[in-house]
Amino acid sequence: MQYDVIVIGSGPGGYVAAIRCAQLGLKTAIVEKYKTLGGTCLNVGCIPSKALLDSSEHFYNAAHTFEEHGIKLADLQVDLPQMIKRKQGVVDANVQGVSFLMKKNKIDVHQGFGSFADANTLNVKKEDGSTEQITAKNFIIATGSKPSSFPSMPIDKKRIITSTEALTLQEVPKHLIVIGAGVIGAELGSVYARIGAKVSFVEFADSMIPTMDKTMGKELQRAVKKLGADFYFSHKVTSVENTGEGVVVKADTPKGEQITLEGDYCLVSVGRRPYTDGLNLEAAGLAADNRGRIEVDNHLRTSVPHIYAIGDVIRGAMLAHKAEEEGVFAAETIAGQKPHINYRLIPGVVYTWPEVASVGYTEEELKTEGKAYKVGSFPYRALGRARASMDLDGLVKVLADKQTDEILGVHIIGARAADMIAEAVVAMEYRASAEDVARMSHAHPTYTEAMKEACLAATENRAIHM
Amino acid sequence: MAIEMKVPPVGESIAEVTVGTWHKKEGDVVKRDEVLCELESDKASFEFPAEADGVLHILAQEGDVLPIGAVICTIDADGSGNGAAAPAAAPAQPAPAPQAETPAQQAAPALQSSAEPAAAPSAAPAPEPAQPASAQVIEMKVPTVGESVTEVTIAAWSKKDGDQVALDEVLCELESDKATFELPAEAAGTLRIVAEAGATLPIGAVICRIEVGAGAPAAASAPAAPAPAAQPAAAPAPAQDASYAANHPSPAAAKILAEKGINPQEVNGSGVGGRITKEDAQSAQKAAAPQPAAQPAPAKPAAAPAPQPAVSGEGTRVQRRERMSSLRRTIARRLVAVKNETAMLTTFNEVDMKPIMDLRAKYKDKFKDKHQVGLGFMSFFTKAVTIALQDFPAVNAMIDGDSIVYNDYCDVSIAVSTERGLVVPVIRNAEQMDFAQIEKEIIRLAGLARDNKLTIDQMQGGTFTITNGGIFGSMLSTPIINAPQSAILGMHNIVERPVVVNGEIVVRPIMYVALSYDHRIIDGKESVSFLVRVKQLLEDPTRILLGV
Repeated sequence: MQYDVIVIGSGPGGYVAAIRCAQLGLKTAIVEKYKTLGGTCLNVGCIPSKALLDSSEHFYNAAHTFEEHGIKLADLQVDLPQMIKRKQGVVDANVQGVSFLMKKNKIDVHQGFGSFADANTLNVKKEDGSTEQITAKNFIIATGSKPSSFPSMPIDKKRIITSTEALTLQEVPKHLIVIGAGVIGAELGSVYARIGAKVSFVEFADSMIPTMDKTMGKELQRAVKKLGADFYFSHKVTSVENTGEGVVVKADTPKGEQITLEGDYCLVSVGRRPYTDGLNLEAAGLAADNRGRIEVDNHLRTSVPHIYAIGDVIRGAMLAHKAEEEGVFAAETIAGQKPHINYRLIPGVVYTWPEVASVGYTEEELKTEGKAYKVGSFPYRALGRARASMDLDGLVKVLADKQTDEILGVHIIGARAADMIAEAVVAMEYRASAEDVARMSHAHPTYTEAMKEACLAATENRAIHM
Repeated sequence: MAIEMKVPPVGESIAEVTVGTWHKKEGDVVKRDEVLCELESDKASFEFPAEADGVLHILAQEGDVLPIGAVICTIDADGSGNGAAAPAAAPAQPAPAPQAETPAQQAAPALQSSAEPAAAPSAAPAPEPAQPASAQVIEMKVPTVGESVTEVTIAAWSKKDGDQVALDEVLCELESDKATFELPAEAAGTLRIVAEAGATLPIGAVICRIEVGAGAPAAASAPAAPAPAAQPAAAPAPAQDASYAANHPSPAAAKILAEKGINPQEVNGSGVGGRITKEDAQSAQKAAAPQPAAQPAPAKPAAAPAPQPAVSGEGTRVQRRERMSSLRRTIARRLVAVKNETAMLTTFNEVDMKPIMDLRAKYKDKFKDKHQVGLGFMSFFTKAVTIALQDFPAVNAMIDGDSIVYNDYCDVSIAVSTERGLVVPVIRNAEQMDFAQIEKEIIRLAGLARDNKLTIDQMQGGTFTITNGGIFGSMLSTPIINAPQSAILGMHNIVERPVVVNGEIVVRPIMYVALSYDHRIIDGKESVSFLVRVKQLLEDPTRILLGV
């Protein structure tokens, strides 16, 4: 079978690329090694973790805030197997949704492990051991990433686990030690902290979510601390050991002393690595760089012009929505169009509670680049909506150009931050000034008023409700 | 408030200094009398101490040449600078505010015009930082390009207004009536174009300005507008005019423009602050297209594509009107002048090219091996001409008022056709050159001509011209002499012709040659004899060797 485009990998980058290709009239196939479509995001990433985050948040609220709302509950319990089961239901529904979209767009789905035979041919090894060969004029590699670890953290998937296993635990850990306080660690750590686990974060950097604006890390730490979590920043893990009944984690403190933490599970969330194992890139004339990434140019083309790569296997943030944009970009490029991606304006989100979301420059980056900027921020605490819902933690921080007032970065921590950041993206795509946003009507009472107020603060320090 | 540190007077005859090594970095806190940098003059180098305590903002970079009195740097004595919005920082951000000052100053050129309005609401001393930047503007003028050249035309800008330019980067092409040449930037910084492409300027006129040491490239063309945006009173105003976001396309517009191959800078955005909307992008056309349409006459056919199919069989009747380049206008003027002011006539002859072709066939490989240059016809013609010129000095002479100026040397102008028109670089003292030297010189000059790199000097002072219309297929022509010279040799196509040699009809490669000459100083006998002499030398190249 000869295709116009074969997409390898059916995660949010791959399946979106395939749909866009089909929309553009290209004969398209998608190859997926797992039984279900959707890749990491749908199966073992964004969607299931959000399902558990929501469940655990409900529990936490029931246990801690319902009474104040005037709702009395007796004998509150966590049924973790049910929680995991509901999560699986969400995943299954989503995955089926993707299958439906493939059919609707007449995209051939090849179940099996794809590997290049040459630059135009893909071997698809099926579950029954047979191999099918399919050929195409163009390829989009969208094979995503895998959790990474270090030799000092030997993952056994029983006690020393990755995010994948953390989504299917059948018991609430008594003491969960999370190595890495980045996005994944923060999210899954807070899931288990909410449903009763003692959680300890061991992080090499000096704050939570260290790649984001420092204010966000500080605020998030304050919120997560309320769940009873402990933090070991600037600590270097030297060993993790499964003792059968539990785990022992040893780490060096900033002063060079050694500490020992004992728990029953250790979640290793130290990042993810591009996944190209078995793809046989060499046969296509491709090679991965020293970090395992496939090199692409600005058009997402690899060194072989008709082979594109998108998402976690290439440079840039490992985010589902980044992969989606790149999927559309690659598809349109193949169809001869000239699409655009503004990488600076891809938002980053952490689905803790409160949520963290940001887009554009962090304050640290502006300092490094020597840009003249001004800051406007507004706390959730001063919002009527936040008071009504008791979501008082958080703030919106707007960074704007000192001369032009152009918004350069927006960082939000608080309820619905993940949804609110979209306003900032729209504004910044149009290069709006802080005052532009401040002069737009925002519904009251909403959380987005905090965005308006922060922009007012950035404009001339004239927030109304402060 | 900021203190401006200027280049001090360093001696009577010293007008400028070069900035040497900076010992301090931008943003450093410096103490009074601490050495900031070294300055070098053509007589001595000396140290430049700080006049006060404060934060250093560097305006002139290492290597910059500054006149006495120019501002080198400023020292922010209280470290607050133009703190227009510093208090706006959230309560949680006390530290960033002073730090933010440093970048504000680094971006000095972008700041220079906006700084003033931005600073307006604050106290009186604040506008000061605006001045150092303006003191750093270098005016670039039309350079002197040759004795007789009084004006130049700007052919094309290779940089846009507001672009960052590096020292010696080519900014634009200038055309004079003799040559085109490039104008390199005299300093690094932000380009401010004064004269647009197509303008004709006298020598010495300001062509552009460079704001030295510019840092911020974006949207610098309209820095004045966005600043008031921060002021409540002026807030609605920037909406009407261009802002920092002028020509910024929306995501959909950006894609459409990219696909049309249109630079957003060429599109007038109708959105807020000059932003380019999707509709703007959809209706945008390539810059070249609207130009003819904009003229009254062709507007009709351009605007009526729909009815056209009815008369499609008749073809287009669009006219284009383009202003003549300065070079073209000059060629036109001079050719007519020469026709009017000389008594020009032409004599013809024919040359049997077989001997030269045989010689070339025999020696071209050896010649190439030895000299790394091909053996062409031009060296034979040039050499033959120089010998003939020495035999008939009047052909190598020129009229100057009531005198005749005889030249004892042969500077042979070679006509070279370029995209911009005909240019005539000169081979100096061709009479003393051997074949290889002539060939090499021709290649060198022709290369310079095609790259528009010929200088006026390289085209002035020829005593005789050779033009080769044959390379375009011309069989016969009456070339116009290249005043103030008195004669020109026209070479032509080589074609096989039946000729009679020793009573037999044979086929020979024949070239007609033409000599146009100014009959005022060259008589018919001299001109005809000159051409015959050239013919003899070409038909028997051994004579060139022997000089007979």
